[in-house]
Amino acid sequence: MVTNGIMTEKLLHKTLKYYLSFSLLVMLLAAPLFYFVTQFLYLEEADEGLVLLKKEFIENSIPKLKENDIEVWNKLNRNVKINKVQENLKEDTFFYKKYYDTLDVENEPYRVLVSPVTINGKDYTFFARTNLVEKKDLIVSIIILFVVIIAILLIGLFIITKRVSLTLWKPFYETLEQIERFEIDKNLDSKLTTNNIEEFNRLNLAINKLIKKNTLIYKSQEEFIENAAHELQTPIAIFKGKLETLLQRSDVTEEQFEILDKLNDTATRLNRLNKNLLLLSKIESKQYNILEDVFLDVVITNQLDFFKEQAFAKNISIATNLESGTLIRTNPFLSEILISNLFLNTINHNIINGIINVVLDKNSLIFSNTGIPKSLEINKLFERFSKVNPSSKGNGLGLSIIKKIADNNQWNVIYNFKDNLHIFEIRF
Amino acid sequence: MKILIIEDEIDIATSIKSYLKANDIHCETASKFETALDKITMYDYDCILVDLMLPDGDGFNILKELKSLNKSEGIIIISAKETLETKIEGFNLGADDYLTKPFHLSELLVRIQALVRRKKFNGNNKIGFNEIEVDTLAKSVKIGEKKIECTKKEIDLLLFLIGNKNKVLSKSAIAEHLSGDMADMLDNHDFVYAHIKNLKKKLSDAGSNDYIKSIYGIGYKWNND
Repeated sequence: MVTNGIMTEKLLHKTLKYYLSFSLLVMLLAAPLFYFVTQFLYLEEADEGLVLLKKEFIENSIPKLKENDIEVWNKLNRNVKINKVQENLKEDTFFYKKYYDTLDVENEPYRVLVSPVTINGKDYTFFARTNLVEKKDLIVSIIILFVVIIAILLIGLFIITKRVSLTLWKPFYETLEQIERFEIDKNLDSKLTTNNIEEFNRLNLAINKLIKKNTLIYKSQEEFIENAAHELQTPIAIFKGKLETLLQRSDVTEEQFEILDKLNDTATRLNRLNKNLLLLSKIESKQYNILEDVFLDVVITNQLDFFKEQAFAKNISIATNLESGTLIRTNPFLSEILISNLFLNTINHNIINGIINVVLDKNSLIFSNTGIPKSLEINKLFERFSKVNPSSKGNGLGLSIIKKIADNNQWNVIYNFKDNLHIFEIRF
Repeated sequence: MKILIIEDEIDIATSIKSYLKANDIHCETASKFETALDKITMYDYDCILVDLMLPDGDGFNILKELKSLNKSEGIIIISAKETLETKIEGFNLGADDYLTKPFHLSELLVRIQALVRRKKFNGNNKIGFNEIEVDTLAKSVKIGEKKIECTKKEIDLLLFLIGNKNKVLSKSAIAEHLSGDMADMLDNHDFVYAHIKNLKKKLSDAGSNDYIKSIYGIGYKWNND
């Protein structure tokens, strides 16, 4: 999995990887060590056996043994022999030697003890040997043993880790899922449950706190916008009332009249801005979530006359292709606002003698219009107060409202620029 | 005509008062819930304007009080609240009309006139001005005995102008009156000019005097001089 350009892997796999490398390391170190220790103990045991043989020989055999018996003795014993005296041999000497084994038809390793003995006052050399396990065989056995142990260990670890992490990490994954589903503007009650693991409890508590705090901030911000917009209405009302009173005075000159008219227009714009902000925060706080079946073609037709009149001033022609009986489940008030904002947008940003096309079918609603002959910047298009044309009279909220209403209905808004037409498509 | 303005914002109340005074409408004001209750119990009015948010009470309670007193005054709610729920509650409690702040005083005036007309002259919906007669129910206009064909918008415009006679009306006030609920959306008031021009032509073709006077090319006035 790749997240933010960084390769990521599951926690479980990461743990297992560490287990695996550690086990391999231990095996690599332990196997030779085990081999040497085994070898050492084995030799020790072999030497002891040989010494025992010698002791036995000295204690039991020598008193009964006569010089003539030595040859017979040597014939009867395969691994113990009495040889002629060897020079320089003063004490017990151990060494390895390979002897050809006629039974096994191969060279077998032997541990050999030679020791000076005296039989009937004559010096001889006592010879004893014991067969050893072949080195190669020992190594192979050890490796097989270790591989089997490691395999059992790893399989065990894998199963246990998986089991444990599934149960241990379960609350963590639950928390993760909840956070992934969390959206601040949706009033989802995301109460994270407590569990008996301290760390996860701490995590959940911290996240709960964070969510609570953020939701509170978000709500108070929303409320602030709503209250501010609401409170502004009264001063605007006073302002407009005074302007209208002033307008009635008989001594108003043309210049003053023009100023008053401009002020009045500005107050109207201020009011519209205010209302749109209020509308946006109301949509966000889900105050329009009562759904009904709405004939969208009827909504459009009802508004068509009004907007045709508005378009007339710019000599803009409006062509419609509406599939009648297009029933959409949505809030009726919001659907009207959506349509009027779409119309307004296409008229306001249109050119003289421009055109507007409205196409509606069961799957989508498309408004396309002529305008500035280049594509709009898509990134900021639906952001509040992002104006494409700074001199335009729009307040930069129209498209935000369109987007908000679409989001509210889980519709997609797609902008395209094609054949000199700005195309806004809403997919239901 | 006598009306009561229940409004805590004195500036709004005085603006309304001074605008309506010229049309022979006598206004009394109450800026508090208690004074408003006193006034409605003691006097009769032709129309009452009620602001819903008062510092010491809820405007809806005034409507309830009026209902319990069996008063038949026309009631217009003037409020900054514009949710559908508030409007519905207002109408259920006996309000006759609902104006959202901010509004044009000219709009308020024609709403008051329409309301009083409905309340006082049941069935008689004819408005006359010299040789002009408008039937608000049948939506027809007569010049003397001659009937002229007018669109719904033109009749609306004519009633608005006559209702605000001798008042200077800005294009935006006329535009907002004509577009009703869509008023918020307006960016361009040029369509007013087209309606005025058509109405003027129809009236003068039928032999009426020219009462519509343009004020500096920005506003209009129904002139009785």
